Amino acid sequence: MVVTILIFDSYLKTGNLSLLFIVLLTFVVKVILAPLFSLRLMKQHQVVFSAPTYLNTPLTFIIIATLTAVAHSQKFYPLTTIIPAHQSLSALALSLILISFFLIVNRKGALSQIIGVLTFENSIVIFGIFSGLEQSVALQIGIIFDIFVWIIISTVFISMIYKHFGSLDVTSMIDLRD
Amino acid sequence: MEIIFIIGSYILASLTIILFRRQRNIAKATSVVVSIFAFIESMKVALKVASTGAYSFMFFSVDALGAIVMLIIAVIGIVTTIYSLQYFIQEKAKNIIGSTRIKQYFVLLSLFFAAMFLAVTSNSPILSWIAIEGTTLSTAFLISLYNKSSAIEAAWKYLIINSIGLLLGFFGTLLYFIPVTSLLENGGLITWQVLATNAVHLNPLISKIAFIFVLIGYGTKVGLVPMHTWKPSAYTKAPAPLGALLSGALLPVAFTIILRFKLITDTTIGPIFGQNLLIGFGLISIVFVSFVILALNNYKRLLAYSSIENAGMIALGFGFGKAGIMAALLHTIYHSLVKSSLFLSSGNILLKYHSARLKDVRGVIKALPLTAICFTIGFLAITGTPPFGMFLTKILIMTAGIKNYPIVSVIILLSTALLFIGFFKHTSAMIFGEKPEGVQSGEISIWLVIPQILLLGIFIILSFYIPPFLQKLLNDVVTQY
Repeated sequence: MVVTILIFDSYLKTGNLSLLFIVLLTFVVKVILAPLFSLRLMKQHQVVFSAPTYLNTPLTFIIIATLTAVAHSQKFYPLTTIIPAHQSLSALALSLILISFFLIVNRKGALSQIIGVLTFENSIVIFGIFSGLEQSVALQIGIIFDIFVWIIISTVFISMIYKHFGSLDVTSMIDLRD
Repeated sequence: MEIIFIIGSYILASLTIILFRRQRNIAKATSVVVSIFAFIESMKVALKVASTGAYSFMFFSVDALGAIVMLIIAVIGIVTTIYSLQYFIQEKAKNIIGSTRIKQYFVLLSLFFAAMFLAVTSNSPILSWIAIEGTTLSTAFLISLYNKSSAIEAAWKYLIINSIGLLLGFFGTLLYFIPVTSLLENGGLITWQVLATNAVHLNPLISKIAFIFVLIGYGTKVGLVPMHTWKPSAYTKAPAPLGALLSGALLPVAFTIILRFKLITDTTIGPIFGQNLLIGFGLISIVFVSFVILALNNYKRLLAYSSIENAGMIALGFGFGKAGIMAALLHTIYHSLVKSSLFLSSGNILLKYHSARLKDVRGVIKALPLTAICFTIGFLAITGTPPFGMFLTKILIMTAGIKNYPIVSVIILLSTALLFIGFFKHTSAMIFGEKPEGVQSGEISIWLVIPQILLLGIFIILSFYIPPFLQKLLNDVVTQY
């Protein structure tokens, strides 16, 4: 939703009609379809959304706080000051990139991993917007289409995982361990 | 136009197979015809680039490196497609797979080829990224084709790890766009050429960060250590012809993207940073595999780890600079041909022994004489045994590094020796020894052997003779990179 609002804001500033099309496309794919697929999956397999992690909660929070601090540190100034006026927003987007990456690695649930990957992608897009690195409309459509196909494929895989392993916990996948 | 024809024909092929799904042989016939067509068109592109240099039109551009990789995809494509026909006939006869799955295979295979061709020929880094992501999406279901728990596990691992890797690559790609102003005013399509022109204005620190992200991102697709973890599982569970394609065709495609970004990074901060990173990842990959290889218990895993080692060797060659680039390029071509042949051999062995475990496979020379010979030649070639071309490329790569990186070269030499011992131990046990009772002697089908012989034949010819047009392309790449 935040991504959609940010692109809509770009449309209001530029008046570029093609951006409005991207807004609609992003809204349909990321705000409507992605949650719809997740909810349908949860309903279909009667799973309750939970986010079991490898690290315990206090340690997870410490790492998240550290990553946020790192993203705001002076070391990353060249990255967060691409548009100097957006420094704090870019730092926020950068911390979101680092945190979503950590969450994918830390979480055990396949559904959580999907949400992690989508958050990761969204945070990169947000960083791009705050840094003035938006792409052409054609490429944005390509990227959204790519994400849309990714959502469908990962959803199908979730169903397959549940069917074969009886759980969405990826630690139950032990067939390939030698 | 050739590129549009190639990509268009593959997309058309996949649509044809979907539309005429009730026609039994349409999938097979279409796939073979299109792969032959793609080979002819790729050859035309290669000859054109060799004679007139790099060219671009619309959203595409082909340089010498792109032309070489197109040829690799086309050659491996035609051979694996022919192999796939007979391979799935045999698997269907054994009730391993059904007709619907086979059709799905050919549909996704066509899309996979289209995505690979698009990735190397697109003139936009973002379009290349979309295409590389397309290769992940099209092959995920191919890895889980047999619908077994282990195959689904491997495919999930492949999907998640590669998606994360490619998102890192996407982030790195975006960072290269910083010096290019007014993106949307220019139609927004940032080409490789535009990036190269503007690279001098890129902040050196951002350039370094961007290249690290790109190398980790696309390096995941290449399978460099420590981003390699999806590779052994995916290669083991994928159908044999897909293993050949992942290792023989997709690896050079992903490496091409890394090299294009390295060229841009070099303009900003000089070549040393990129070279050191490539040497670091290459060295870790080779050393890691040399320690793991003796403990392996699955011959498809053995080939997967060998692929990681060779990716490391290619990275080292490019890392060692001008002197190593020619050797790295030749190594890429040789590796694609030999490794694909080895994967096809592994498919024959799997069909005969019904097991991928090394301890279950003994006496291949009696059970599958021609396959055993091909596998042995492949093993000797891939481990760098003389007189094959890979012996020369490995020596040249090490020689290129001996002056500036003597310790690295010595470590590589020792690791290569360990790798040979490991590979030799497993291969000799498989080829010789007592054939298990119940395993019939004789090749399953000559059409499962011809593709291997073709690949090895091309490899042996190229070991001793490089056609003038290919030599010109290789020289152009060395000059450019």
